[in-house]
Amino acid sequence: MPNSPLISVRDLTKNFRSAHRREGLWGGIVDLFHREYRTVEAVSKISFEIEPGEMVGYIGPNGAGKSTTIKMLTGILVPSSGELVSNGFVPWRERTAYVRTIGVVFGQRTQLWWDIAVIESLKLLRRIYDVSQHDFDERIETFDQILGLRDYLNTPVRKLSLGERMRCDLAAALLHNPPLLFLDEPTIGLDVVAKDHIRHFLRAINQRYRTTVLLTTHDLDDIEELCRRIMIIDHGRLLYDGPLALLKQKLLRTKQVKFALRDKGQLPQLAAIEREGLKLERVDELTWRISFDRTLFATADLIRQILGTVEIRDLLIEDEPIEELIKRIYAGEALHEVNT
Amino acid sequence: MKLRDIGIIYRKEMKDTLRDRRALISMIVVPILLMPLLTIGIGVLSAEIVGRAMEEIPKVMILGGADSPNITAELRAQSDIHVVPAGADYAQQIEDKRIRAAVEIPPGFDASLAAGTPATITLYDYKNDLKSSIAADRLQKFFRDLGDRTVRERLEAQRLPDSLIHPIEVNEQNAAPPEKATGELIGGIVPYFVILLCLTGAIYPAIDLTAGEKERGTMETILSSPVSRTDLVFGKFLTVLTASLATAFLAVLSMAVSFGIGKTLLMSLTDPGQASGFTLSINPGSVAAVFVMVLPLAVLFSAALLAVALCAKSYKEAQSYLQPMTILVLVPGIVSLLPGVDLNARLALIPVLNTSLVSKEILMGTYHWHYIALIFISSCVYAAAALTIAVRLFEREDVLFRT
Repeated sequence: MPNSPLISVRDLTKNFRSAHRREGLWGGIVDLFHREYRTVEAVSKISFEIEPGEMVGYIGPNGAGKSTTIKMLTGILVPSSGELVSNGFVPWRERTAYVRTIGVVFGQRTQLWWDIAVIESLKLLRRIYDVSQHDFDERIETFDQILGLRDYLNTPVRKLSLGERMRCDLAAALLHNPPLLFLDEPTIGLDVVAKDHIRHFLRAINQRYRTTVLLTTHDLDDIEELCRRIMIIDHGRLLYDGPLALLKQKLLRTKQVKFALRDKGQLPQLAAIEREGLKLERVDELTWRISFDRTLFATADLIRQILGTVEIRDLLIEDEPIEELIKRIYAGEALHEVNT
Repeated sequence: MKLRDIGIIYRKEMKDTLRDRRALISMIVVPILLMPLLTIGIGVLSAEIVGRAMEEIPKVMILGGADSPNITAELRAQSDIHVVPAGADYAQQIEDKRIRAAVEIPPGFDASLAAGTPATITLYDYKNDLKSSIAADRLQKFFRDLGDRTVRERLEAQRLPDSLIHPIEVNEQNAAPPEKATGELIGGIVPYFVILLCLTGAIYPAIDLTAGEKERGTMETILSSPVSRTDLVFGKFLTVLTASLATAFLAVLSMAVSFGIGKTLLMSLTDPGQASGFTLSINPGSVAAVFVMVLPLAVLFSAALLAVALCAKSYKEAQSYLQPMTILVLVPGIVSLLPGVDLNARLALIPVLNTSLVSKEILMGTYHWHYIALIFISSCVYAAAALTIAVRLFEREDVLFRT
């Protein structure tokens, strides 16, 4: 079936029962005998489809329901209601057969065994996933080319840096060459170089094997560099599902023009640029930034005005940082204009 | 259920466990060190204490006896006691352990002895104090000998034979086989420790493979592997069971060795006459039989520990859950050591207690086959129940992902 979605989710809901703790010492004693439970809707009626070969970013603040969704998609949790078909399987019903077709990486945890050398864990996974020796050797070779694994294959996991461990974890998750990869915070805690490595690797396997990737993240650079499509979840509800570009186009209102003055002598003229609806800020002595609503001002007009007023050395046009945009979405800014 | 997957999980968990220092200590170091300490250590120590107490010449006081110079002189002449001057505070002195015992000679003792009228001696000692008992024993022996001598003299004076007062001679022979005697002595303690070590050896691996895994966050990753949850539980369970049995096995082995060493040590410490009555012999067959009886119990422990530890969120929480479990095992173990607690059909159904009691009997060389069968079967039923619970718990999200 060409072009049928790889993952199809309809009205997926997951409720948890959590104990409500009373306050204080007396409350603690009362809790011992009579617990009150609250039902928490971790994921509420979300629906989406993912096509083969897509790379989708799944973002949301802490406790939004990202990990719960991933756990349902990987068959660890059973949904309270709704439908979910992934790779032709209902994950929790045919879990063992299904997970042979997926790879999972949980960013803050490792599936490699702490005290034993990486290669031993990989060999064990080879047996669990029934990977032939030939395929195993070939894949280790490929991963080594992109990730540079060889150097620490014989090191126990506990001695690896977080970045090195993440590379090994990715190799472990992809050992059985799954068409579908779930990543829960793959770059969390990594330094810039390590993040870059991981992103490079994900792009490479997506291109080479057409691996479909769904990744949750807090790091919007991950999204910008890897995903064309994003899904935003908060309080268990899917707030946005669509191209990142569309979101930016519709929601990014503010643009910024940053410019460097030629010398201090230009400073007095700056006041002439100021006007209602523009925000002029000083970055350092000679560098200044103007933020403006792009629906009210045309960028070209503004640049013309700057060039006509002051002598400048350098100029840079920027969008509002995407973090700001996402913050506004989490804060409840209406998304209906995008979704319509 | 796939044996292959269980095998993979088992080997993985064993590898991990063998690298966990805490598990290694409780599994290997404790049983190997504990047993010699228990047998040789306590044996040597008590032999030392008794020996030292015997060497000491206890101070005793003679109360009264001013008109009986014979008896007081004879007492003073005894080399194994040291007579000190009398004082009114003799009771206090005994309590303070300044003297070990006092003997009260009634007025006119020498005279009544010569006249053949009965006389009463009063002994003051400190009950349950080793050194005081030794002093009292020596005084008792002195008066017993004196009594015997007096009787013999009186019989001789009347020209009557010695046998007049000894019409019956009782000759006691030990008919119990050596392992019976040993069974009484150590039969209760051996299974008790084997059972206890079965538990302690399993505790750390059980916590590590459940709550430890949750704490490290590797529970999710193992749950997302294509190993079914049942196979996962069995793999983990077999690991815990291995640790439990390894601990018990090492304990028995180390005990056998230390008994061997302990016996020769005790022989060299105490005089040969005394040590020969202290026969130690363990029949390897009965030890093997005890092991077979302990097997379902080890299964029960492993499964129960796994189930309980799984409910905990962290290593620390699991430890506090498992502590009461240790007491739960200790109590029936201690009950089985109480004198007079013998195996019956009802006790045969109480886990731990039944195994402890039947092991005691087996070590004494007694095989009550119907009880053995009953105990083995009931233990297997409990073990299967615990294992079922553990498997069920692994299916429950609220247990696996408790927050």
